Amino acid sequence: MSVTIDIDNVVKKYGDLTVVNGLSLKVDPGEFFTLLGPSGCGKTTLLRMIIGFNSIEAGEIRVDGRVVNDVPTDKRNMGMVFQNYAIFPHMTVYENVAFGLKMRKLSNAEIAPRVAEILELVKIDALRDRKPTELSGGQQQRVALARAIVIQPEVLLMDEPLSNLDAKLRVEMRNVIKNIQHKLGITTVYVTHDQEEALAVSDRLAVMNAGVIQQIDTPQRVYQRPANLFVSTFIGLSNVLNGKITGDGKGVDFGGYMVEMDNLNELAKPNAPVLVSVRPEEFVIDRAAGEGLKAVVKNRVFLGSTIHYFLEMGDKELEVIDRADNLEMIPAGAQVTLTAKANKINVFDESGGRSLIAAERTQ
Amino acid sequence: MHEPGKKKVDGWFALGLLLTALFLVFVLYPLLLILYKSVLDPASGGTTTANFVKFFSRKYYWITLWNSVKVTTCSTFIAVLLGLPMAYVLRNVKIRGLSVINILIVISYLSPPFIGAYAWVQMLGRNGLITNIFNKLFGIQFAGIYGFAGIVLVFSLQSFPLVYMYVSGALKNLDNSLNEAARSLGCSTFQSVWRVVTPLILPTLLASALLVFMRVFSDFGTPMLIGEGYRTFPVLIYTQFMGEVSTDSHFAAALCVIVIGITLALFFLQGLLARRWSYSMSALRPMEAKKYSGLSNFLAHLFVLSVVALAIIPQCTVIFSSFLETKGGHVYTGNFSLENYANTLLAKDNNAIVNTYLFGVAAIALVVVMGVLISYLSTRKKSPLTATLDTMTMMPYIIPGSVLGISFLYAFNAPPLILANTPLIMIIALSLRRMPYTIRSSTAIISQISPSIEEAAISFGASERTTFLKITLPMMLPGVLAGAIMSWITIISELSSSIILYTSRTRTLTVAIYAEVIRSNFGNAAAYSTVLTVTSVLSLLLFYKLSGKREISI
Ligand SMILES: Nc1ncnc2c1ncn2[C@@H]1O[C@H](COP(=O)(O)OP(=O)(O)O)[C@@H](O)[C@H]1O
Ligand SMILES: [Mg+2]
Repeated sequence: MSVTIDIDNVVKKYGDLTVVNGLSLKVDPGEFFTLLGPSGCGKTTLLRMIIGFNSIEAGEIRVDGRVVNDVPTDKRNMGMVFQNYAIFPHMTVYENVAFGLKMRKLSNAEIAPRVAEILELVKIDALRDRKPTELSGGQQQRVALARAIVIQPEVLLMDEPLSNLDAKLRVEMRNVIKNIQHKLGITTVYVTHDQEEALAVSDRLAVMNAGVIQQIDTPQRVYQRPANLFVSTFIGLSNVLNGKITGDGKGVDFGGYMVEMDNLNELAKPNAPVLVSVRPEEFVIDRAAGEGLKAVVKNRVFLGSTIHYFLEMGDKELEVIDRADNLEMIPAGAQVTLTAKANKINVFDESGGRSLIAAERTQ
Repeated sequence: MHEPGKKKVDGWFALGLLLTALFLVFVLYPLLLILYKSVLDPASGGTTTANFVKFFSRKYYWITLWNSVKVTTCSTFIAVLLGLPMAYVLRNVKIRGLSVINILIVISYLSPPFIGAYAWVQMLGRNGLITNIFNKLFGIQFAGIYGFAGIVLVFSLQSFPLVYMYVSGALKNLDNSLNEAARSLGCSTFQSVWRVVTPLILPTLLASALLVFMRVFSDFGTPMLIGEGYRTFPVLIYTQFMGEVSTDSHFAAALCVIVIGITLALFFLQGLLARRWSYSMSALRPMEAKKYSGLSNFLAHLFVLSVVALAIIPQCTVIFSSFLETKGGHVYTGNFSLENYANTLLAKDNNAIVNTYLFGVAAIALVVVMGVLISYLSTRKKSPLTATLDTMTMMPYIIPGSVLGISFLYAFNAPPLILANTPLIMIIALSLRRMPYTIRSSTAIISQISPSIEEAAISFGASERTTFLKITLPMMLPGVLAGAIMSWITIISELSSSIILYTSRTRTLTVAIYAEVIRSNFGNAAAYSTVLTVTSVLSLLLFYKLSGKREISI
């Protein structure tokens, strides 16, 4: 019942400006797929190509194998949730949700139960006769979602649907969206620039930069094994350190401090300079002198379950997260030794463009 | 130094009082006088409803009202049918020469309607250019468009620009996501225009339709020139008041009261509807004009260019014929000459052009100064007094110009205030008619200036007067000046109150054109019209240059 979406080498130009140049990806049936990237990287552009608001200059988009390049939007059967909701201001909640069914020439007798069911699903059945101006942002968001899914679209598209909500509502609504999508099993493409949101809702996500896909994978893999330095710094926090591959090719040398690794791939040539990305929780911090990176605590923040340390190592600033167990906090000014968790850290080539971590070994 | 506790006289309050007094004298008093006159029985000195009974009981009279309703409804409807798609197409399709098209549309709107009437008579009248060609080509006896069809033609073409400008402005504020949402829910392009765009711009459409309706309903120049036997209500008023035979000022007053009643009712009806359906819209992603190709591109261009051509034809005809040599004023010899200009511009005792400029400038000065002060009072110094003032300033908006003129003659033709036959009465009438528009636009400008800016100035020790003069006024000035240019263009094209109030010493261009047309001196009329058009075009270009905008609001 659910459909696949094949995006095959598509190109988008605005006049002379090429925004997307030969991008390909595949969305599986029923999948919650997210396009994640910084503002202006072409996410909206791609989404609008899928639904047909933007022309496609080259390449193909296929839904369940059918090429849809020249199919007009109203014949694509795709639902969309807009950033500003785009609720019709002259219609009540009920009329907004019923609109798409009316366009499909359904009788009122058929429309009423379907609308009622969806309104209940998104928990706004009490608001059915309100006008949009009488709704809060979160409620409008629910109307927009209900309106998009009531037509039983083959594909559900969402463009930064949560960006106009306050932080708390954002978390609440993303769970609502995720649960409903899961329940209905509609193939969904979701756009956001918020990496935390992307990690929270997606089955898989594509990290984009400047119109180019950097990595497509599950949230966990993208976080733990970023494909390149951009992904590792865009998603989550990363301390980026300079180093080089050890002489035997089985570890990284941070200028005296060696970390032995067993998961480097064949691109890791002995003695090649590399960039190493270490997440704050992938460091072990210790006051005792010993083998490791030497740094000074500049500042620390107690956050209940964790303690964040802000450190200085030469002219580099590092951030380390430690579990707040019953050990005492390390005071500012203290000399510490950092050791990296060898099986967690990521190593990239000198340009940061390619990961030197071997592909297998998923937990 | 003022003693503490002793309240000094508030300058703003005094100003409010003064302005209110002025409007009482120049708006309310003449209107009440008309009302009084309409029910006054001159014989007994008591009140009577005889004038109203006379109107509604004789078909000869009431048919004019019915005619007016028919003509106005038809013209308004056609104006909407032209203006709405024009606005939508031009917001949606990239049309070549858009800025020229916009200027042409504005020009066709700003010229007085009766010039259109007389130009169309030149082409499609009994002896018109196109009529003659057609009759010769097809061997038919087309007698020219007069009466109902002629009036509707002129009014529709003259009024659609107003609908166009209003709707175009509303479309600019319409978020295109709404359109896209409709498309994603299964609407074709046409369905989304019909079900989403149209309902949302309906309040604006209604407002513009009402303006068109009131303008058309109260215009008498057009039916006078092209109506022939088809008498409309304003024509009746004019002939009752000014006519050579049987003028009856009490009956004319009753007619004025009827008009005011109708326009007032429409005004409130529109306000009611607009309040019910107003949506605050702001476009996150406004519509973008896209390049189309093939047939749709061709059709869009064809539609836009045909409508613009139809609208601008009268102006072109007039300008062209101003360079034609005539015999006896109305028979064209087929040669070109500047004779018409010599006859008009160089004629001795000709004060029409100078008057137009003088009165125009004086009226503008009055409108701008009072408009700014009144809008400041009614937004920043809200009180019952300023609310009353605000309401009174809106009255000329719904009172037809000829009615205003007639009421002025009634009110200021006798002591204590004798103004009739003076330039002052023309200037006051001109500025009052424009006042509602200026106040509205100034109010919009003021409400965009945050009061905290003024409060900041006052907190630094500036007096309220200094704050207004040094802070608020300079911030308002660019917008106000741009508005003043538009006011200037509308003021110099005004006919309906001037035609009632003018004397030979206070003739203006529009009055002169009208008089020449009535006398069949088409050559002179064309020359005057061309002067008027050139002035308008130059002013419009100045407006564009100063405001840096491509959008016009009337
Ligand atoms: N209609 C347009 N015309 C020209 N350039 C555009 C248009 N829409 C988007 N762009 C450009 O395309 C790029 C990608 O935009 P967009 O897809 O909106 O990014 P995102 O949604 O990832 O923030 C940006 O550089 C933007 O300036
Ligand atoms: Mg975007």
